[in-house]
Amino acid sequence: MNDPFGDARLSNTGDGPGEIRLWPVVLLILAIFGLFVGRLFQLQILEGEALLGRSRINSVRQVQLEAQRGAIVDREGRTIAASRPAYGVGVVPNDVRNPWRTYSVLGAILERDPRELASAVGQPRDRTRFQPVSLSKDLGLEARAKVAAHRYALPGVELQQKPLREYVFGPLAAQMLGTIGEIAAGELEQPRFEGYRSGEIVGKTGIEASEEGHLRGRAGGVNMVVDVAGREIEELDRVEPTPGGRLVLALDLDLQQAAEDAFVVEDPAQPDLERRMGALVALDPRNGDVLAMVSSPAFDPNAFAGGVDHETWRSLNQDEWRPLRNRAIAGVYPPGSTYKAIVAAAGLAEGVIDSTTIVPCYGSFRLGRRTYRCWKRGGHGPVDLERAIAGSCDVYFYELGNKLGVEKLAHYARLFGLGHATGVALRGEVDGLVPTPEWKLRVRGERWVDGETISLSIGQGANLTTPIQLAVAYATIANGGRVIVPRIVLRRETWDGRVVEEIAPEFRAENVISPAILQLVTNGLRRVVMEADGTGRRARVPGIEVAGKSGTTQVVSLDLVENLEPEEIPLRYRDHALFAAFAPVESPEIVVVAVGEHAGGGGGAIAAPMVQKVLARYFEKKEQQVPTQVATIAMAEPVDRTRARATTRVVGASGGTATRGFDAGALP
Amino acid sequence: MNGLRVERTSLQHFDWVLAGLVVVLAVMGLVNLVSAAASGVEGGSDIVGRQTTAMALAAFVIAVVVLIDYRHYDRFAYVLYGGTIGLLLLTLAVAEETRGARAWLFSGRFQPSEVAKIGMILALARWFGRNPPASIRRLRDLFVPGVIVAIPVALIIAQKDLGVAVLTLLIGLTLLPLVNVPLRAWLGIAALGAAGLVVLWTYGLKPYQQERILGFLDPSRDPLASGYQQTQSKIAVGSGGLFGTGWQEGTQTQLRFLPTQHTDFAFSVLAEEWGFVGSVAVLAVYAALLFWGLLIARNSKDGFGAVLAIGLVGMLLWPATINVAMVLGLAPVIGVPLPLFSYGGSALLSTAIAIGLLLNVSMRRYVF
Repeated sequence: MNDPFGDARLSNTGDGPGEIRLWPVVLLILAIFGLFVGRLFQLQILEGEALLGRSRINSVRQVQLEAQRGAIVDREGRTIAASRPAYGVGVVPNDVRNPWRTYSVLGAILERDPRELASAVGQPRDRTRFQPVSLSKDLGLEARAKVAAHRYALPGVELQQKPLREYVFGPLAAQMLGTIGEIAAGELEQPRFEGYRSGEIVGKTGIEASEEGHLRGRAGGVNMVVDVAGREIEELDRVEPTPGGRLVLALDLDLQQAAEDAFVVEDPAQPDLERRMGALVALDPRNGDVLAMVSSPAFDPNAFAGGVDHETWRSLNQDEWRPLRNRAIAGVYPPGSTYKAIVAAAGLAEGVIDSTTIVPCYGSFRLGRRTYRCWKRGGHGPVDLERAIAGSCDVYFYELGNKLGVEKLAHYARLFGLGHATGVALRGEVDGLVPTPEWKLRVRGERWVDGETISLSIGQGANLTTPIQLAVAYATIANGGRVIVPRIVLRRETWDGRVVEEIAPEFRAENVISPAILQLVTNGLRRVVMEADGTGRRARVPGIEVAGKSGTTQVVSLDLVENLEPEEIPLRYRDHALFAAFAPVESPEIVVVAVGEHAGGGGGAIAAPMVQKVLARYFEKKEQQVPTQVATIAMAEPVDRTRARATTRVVGASGGTATRGFDAGALP
Repeated sequence: MNGLRVERTSLQHFDWVLAGLVVVLAVMGLVNLVSAAASGVEGGSDIVGRQTTAMALAAFVIAVVVLIDYRHYDRFAYVLYGGTIGLLLLTLAVAEETRGARAWLFSGRFQPSEVAKIGMILALARWFGRNPPASIRRLRDLFVPGVIVAIPVALIIAQKDLGVAVLTLLIGLTLLPLVNVPLRAWLGIAALGAAGLVVLWTYGLKPYQQERILGFLDPSRDPLASGYQQTQSKIAVGSGGLFGTGWQEGTQTQLRFLPTQHTDFAFSVLAEEWGFVGSVAVLAVYAALLFWGLLIARNSKDGFGAVLAIGLVGMLLWPATINVAMVLGLAPVIGVPLPLFSYGGSALLSTAIAIGLLLNVSMRRYVF
């Protein structure tokens, strides 16, 4: 047996596949590899382009770089609202390795329940598992440092930087500044939000909304190569965001602060009442500058900056006293006796009275079978126009209103800007109401009754004005007959301070009434404040001539509350207290209107001191500022140096007439 | 034993073509692995070094297998077969469950099912060497080879290593075209196969494996599990285009959108970075290797050598087929590496034995 393999031999000697059939296997291999080559051809040649596109989508992610929202500053350049970089912490669900540890460490840092954090992140299965879920949008310095320190031990946890809106003074001028929030689904479809993406932050109310286009800026973006976990590998290209523009308001922070303070109640009889409700508007009658605007109760707009939580939103939105509403432009109140100035002007313009016309007041006025009482039971005796205004004699104005008739009253009310929105650049302004027989028939389906005209003459009845309307009307008296459009924004600038647009003062109408007539009315208004027993004496500012008029308006008919002690009257039934004033009388620079909503007292007692605080601050500041005018101008325009220098030269050349220099700055 | 004289003669007939094809494939695989590893996949640059070491070891294994006259393997075929079956049983008894399967020994370093395939091929070659396939005309004559295939397949199914079980079965089936059974017998086999599939689906497959197959048939079922892998693989292959994105330039690879790109999806990396040209080139080398194996079978002096060579060709063909089909989205995701090309030491060992056996049969074609 020299051949151990002999029995294993095939009879076949290996020439050809005669005994071993190889062709099926050959065919099989050819078929398989042919199929593969065909498939490769299909994927790489025929569908190559499309699949290459998909690989790009896979690996290139567009990340939006949010633009910093523009700053809002007061007329002197002091920041009221700004955006700052805020650090948040987020979790990428896909990258979390040890959930229990991750959430308990994060819980300790954020001082929140780890289970709550875990359920906030969840365990998404689709692509969103690569997207970070934000757990906190604004970490404190300490928390930020802690997160940074733990980052490498906690895969999936990342710090996120985003601009966060900050309102430096919290609730100050809250309704005027307005709120921001994520764009609503419905808003995305509106033409004014063209080019916005869902999730973007937009102005919702107030200046934030009306100046959205200027404040928004332009978002930038990064094309980033990311790996399968969404981690950044390399940046392909980057377009830096352009920060939103700076907005210079007509507002004066000092006056605003004084106005806010005027709402603080220090009444030992009402210890639970900390702040009065109502509104206050301060205007410059020469150009319409809104120097201060308060609506109370207020809220802190910072609550909206990082996305308002449901609870806060609900409590603000459902609050009986509507803190979100800007009462200065959307609160309507009967003007009460403040309206008498307009009735007086109407009487003089129509020739129904002159300054010497005397009306005897015996405490009541009879029309037909009804008697209308003067607020002063004993009567004022014989009064002329000045004394009628100074003493707020109802009988004089009953008589005058009756002679003028409702149509004339309405006509002059409209001339002074009542009954329609002032056109202030804030959303949500209302028209108020100047009642006429036509209006009554249309809305109520009833005929006008003459007695209503009598009520109208003293600002009661269906008359409704907003505080800003009343301020515009008094500004018209103060500036000699020009109906201003209140100016909120002085200037739009780029984020780095280059002037984009100056907003010129705007007037709705000029010479609506002769200055001589307004002078006569002003004389009466002056006595309201300046006379020893004037109802507005509490609005006096030392050294300054102030003109003004108080108003007290009933909210419900007297018999509902007549037999109650003042503090027993439910808040909602208490009177509104109004006061409107301007100063200095000889050349008015400021108009202030204050409304104490349901203040439960007279305008002279409650609203006049509020106005006084603002006036006092204004003149106190003016006095302080005289020597430092030049510096103020330079501060107000920090970038446009040439201009600032030019203005300075003018001031210097004209022999230190600082006021002129200031005017030149404010009215370019 | 035959003397060294025989060996010396044989060495003069060393099959340089087969060796060359193997080296070309392995080098291509290594170059590809460097790119896949560069993406920072788990294990990092380490895996290139490990693969090189494994290849050196594989060369040594090939040399050892080549030096022993294959007729000794014939003589001990059943013993070797029995040994590998024993290993499978041992694995079943002692192995811990890893990745859902109980298929590994020596803490995951050695997979007995890999050598079991070779044991099975040896046993089949011995049986068919004595019962020439052409002479088999009745299905019942295939009882013994059927049992030879069934035992390891059953044991591997018991290990819950579905992929390898299917592979082993396919390798066994590669020999079927050689036999001369009539058409109705084929139908019988098909019916049996179908029944087997139903049984396998019901009892053999774990839910996630069923999911994978359903996910393949309907990718929208779960686009993020196995469907996701396959979609990413297709994107990678397609974005290669005609000439590819360039070595280490494929975004799907470098940004790790490709799953297990150094092992199961190594061919995707190749297709992305080398394009249609590169992929067809590698497939061509592969096809050449397989056809060369069939040529070795034809030129073999004995039945054992011929059937052995065909079985070994099957052992290379089927994993390659399943792997490439999976990469190209033609088959469900089954974790089978591409022989000689993918990273992986354990699979390389059995592939080396197979190459060694092929070289062995080839160089002894003139021996007797």
